[in-house]
Amino acid sequence: MITLYPKRLFKVPVEAECICPDVFAEKSAKEIATLQIWEGNRKRTLGDLFKIKHETDSPTEEFTIRICGDVSKVRKIGAKMSMGNIIVEGDADMHLGEEMKGGIITVTGNADSWTGSMMKNGTIEIKGNAGDYIGASYRGSTQGMSGGKIIIHGNAGYEVGCFMRKGLIKVHGDIGRFAGIHMRDGTIFIQGNSEGRAGAQMINGKIVVCGYIPSILPTFTIDDIRPKVKVNEENVEGPFYRFVGDLADGGDGKLFVSKTKNPHLSSYEEYL
Amino acid sequence: MTVVTGVTCPVCGTFCDDIELVVKDNVITDVRNACAMGAAKFLNYSTHRNLRPLVRKNGELVEASIDEAVKRAAEILVDATYPILYGWSNTSCEAIRVGVELTEEVGGVIDNTSTVCHGPSVLSIQDVGIASCTLGQLRHRADLIFYWASNPWSAHPRHIERYTMFSEGRFQKSAWRGYLSRLGGIMSRKRLRRAANLVLRRDVFATPEVERRLPYSMFQKKRKMVVVDVRNTRTAEAADYFLQVEPNKDYELLQAFRMLIRDEELDVSEVAGVPVEILEEVADVMVGCELGILFFGVGLTMSEGKLRNVDAALNLTRDLNSHTKFLIMPMRGHFNVTGADVVFAWQTGYPYAIDFSHGYPRYNPGETSVIDILCRDEADASLIIASDPVAHFPQKAAQNLVKKPLIAIDPEVTPTTLMADVVFPSAFVGIEAHGTAYRMDHVPLPLKKIVEPPKTCLPDTEILQRILHKVRKLRREQN
Repeated sequence: MITLYPKRLFKVPVEAECICPDVFAEKSAKEIATLQIWEGNRKRTLGDLFKIKHETDSPTEEFTIRICGDVSKVRKIGAKMSMGNIIVEGDADMHLGEEMKGGIITVTGNADSWTGSMMKNGTIEIKGNAGDYIGASYRGSTQGMSGGKIIIHGNAGYEVGCFMRKGLIKVHGDIGRFAGIHMRDGTIFIQGNSEGRAGAQMINGKIVVCGYIPSILPTFTIDDIRPKVKVNEENVEGPFYRFVGDLADGGDGKLFVSKTKNPHLSSYEEYL
Repeated sequence: MTVVTGVTCPVCGTFCDDIELVVKDNVITDVRNACAMGAAKFLNYSTHRNLRPLVRKNGELVEASIDEAVKRAAEILVDATYPILYGWSNTSCEAIRVGVELTEEVGGVIDNTSTVCHGPSVLSIQDVGIASCTLGQLRHRADLIFYWASNPWSAHPRHIERYTMFSEGRFQKSAWRGYLSRLGGIMSRKRLRRAANLVLRRDVFATPEVERRLPYSMFQKKRKMVVVDVRNTRTAEAADYFLQVEPNKDYELLQAFRMLIRDEELDVSEVAGVPVEILEEVADVMVGCELGILFFGVGLTMSEGKLRNVDAALNLTRDLNSHTKFLIMPMRGHFNVTGADVVFAWQTGYPYAIDFSHGYPRYNPGETSVIDILCRDEADASLIIASDPVAHFPQKAAQNLVKKPLIAIDPEVTPTTLMADVVFPSAFVGIEAHGTAYRMDHVPLPLKKIVEPPKTCLPDTEILQRILHKVRKLRREQN
């Protein structure tokens, strides 16, 4: 196991794509210290900014990187990783686990925007809140998250799962507007409330809102009332209104909204 | 006394090119053809301006030589690890080109004022694509004009007169006579109401019920104008039909129009405060036009939904093109904000919010856009040109901006120049310096030099070139 301790508080963005089990594996602490990272427009080595401690792994344990201290300005931690674990004890900055292909990232604090963007497999677990564009695509691309799991125990921001293609995003808290915009497939489960416009321009996939949602987009049509809904092999008890859309884009996505938490949507029942 | 004709107006995105100026002894004494905004700039531009470069010493801004100011500015930029270079929309393309070079040299972030106006439109255009045109085409052919969340009567005063409703096109006639008769009707009604109230001592015309059905003129075969806005504006008064949308509900309304144009039924009786029957009638007018244009303003890009509102508008235009010819254009604010986007794009591949910190251009608005960088307090120096962010940015961003070394290049005295550490007074481009700018429809037009600037006020291009030269020299010495 490698443990990283930031040597000081970072003020300008630090980009550390190299903090990744695939890069660290089979390297000594000395070699790791020479890996190149960016602090603003200055090239630095990992050893300039972090104290690196190498502990011998038990042969059964997966390769693990632990980061202790404030890395809320360190971007791209665990980008493109395919194995092992990363544990961030504190907050992480943007692009955490971008394009990851496997392994597990755990953040005990908050994560920023573009967490798990374009990820293909693996698991990201955030104990605190997350920013915007979770599991989304790069600007201008239509290739969002295409597999894996993102679990957020706190709240999440806007446009979560933008252009998502497969996989699961689970938010235990509340979520901002435009959850699942342009979604192609996959599942977004929201335990708390939604700010609205869920499923805008979605083509396929499933969004489940267990809390309150102010309104449903006019481009969705009611389809059914379901007693429960299946989320990744788990049954969630309802009842749920099931809407289909987004019809403006010829979509066939399913939007499940709790019936008990949203009495203002009862007017839709007359169309059933 | 000389009369200079064919002058372009360096104020709004309409960028009128038919201005005539009367010049006497290096002073503009009269302006013809310009709107109130343009005339005010041409006549009063030199009233409040700095004439000498200023450098902050012991907390005070003191006059300095141009070389001293250039040296100080270059030192600030060379020492910075994450500088931002912001503004650009009110200067010439030639200056912007040097600005991109300077940003690459210092490894900074370059951003223009699109980031606070039509940046979301750019993001949507990259996602969806745009069916656009030049304004000349609209002047001659457009028979249905939508102004969505914009108020050209006040913000682009000659837009309606030059390119849309009141312009005399080859195939579409001007609608100003209809407007005048409608205005006459409104005025008589107001006069009648005032007289009746005086005589009867009560309001006999108690607030009339808002007529929501489409007027007869909307179904006639002639030029029509529709305004969609959250409030009744001067543009809305001039329109054939005004569709009032609930604040922050534009996305729903646009998506509902898309549904109706696809012949789908809506499960609701009203959208964004507008009954569905009215939407159906407006959708019929849209489908029935010969050439429609949707101009959208900052009301769409900076209200709830931002780029997704524009997504919906662009998609609506795309859908309409399966029935008729329909186009869309953002109402750009500053006279060269389009040019800033164009120059950034041909130099770097990206239109705004470009990060050169790794030596090559990277782009991710939200991460590399100036307001977000400032709100997270990541920049450690800044160069502001032809813009006034201290007055216009969110409080937190402005606070973080002035905390760090700040270089301002501006002909006028603004809150930004007052808070700066180095101030360069520049020549007014389009009045005292020539250059090139892009109109809102991406047509490049020349900016003319009409009068000589004061000797100490250099053009933006020259100031930037001097800073760039000094930066290169300092970096060579460092290495």
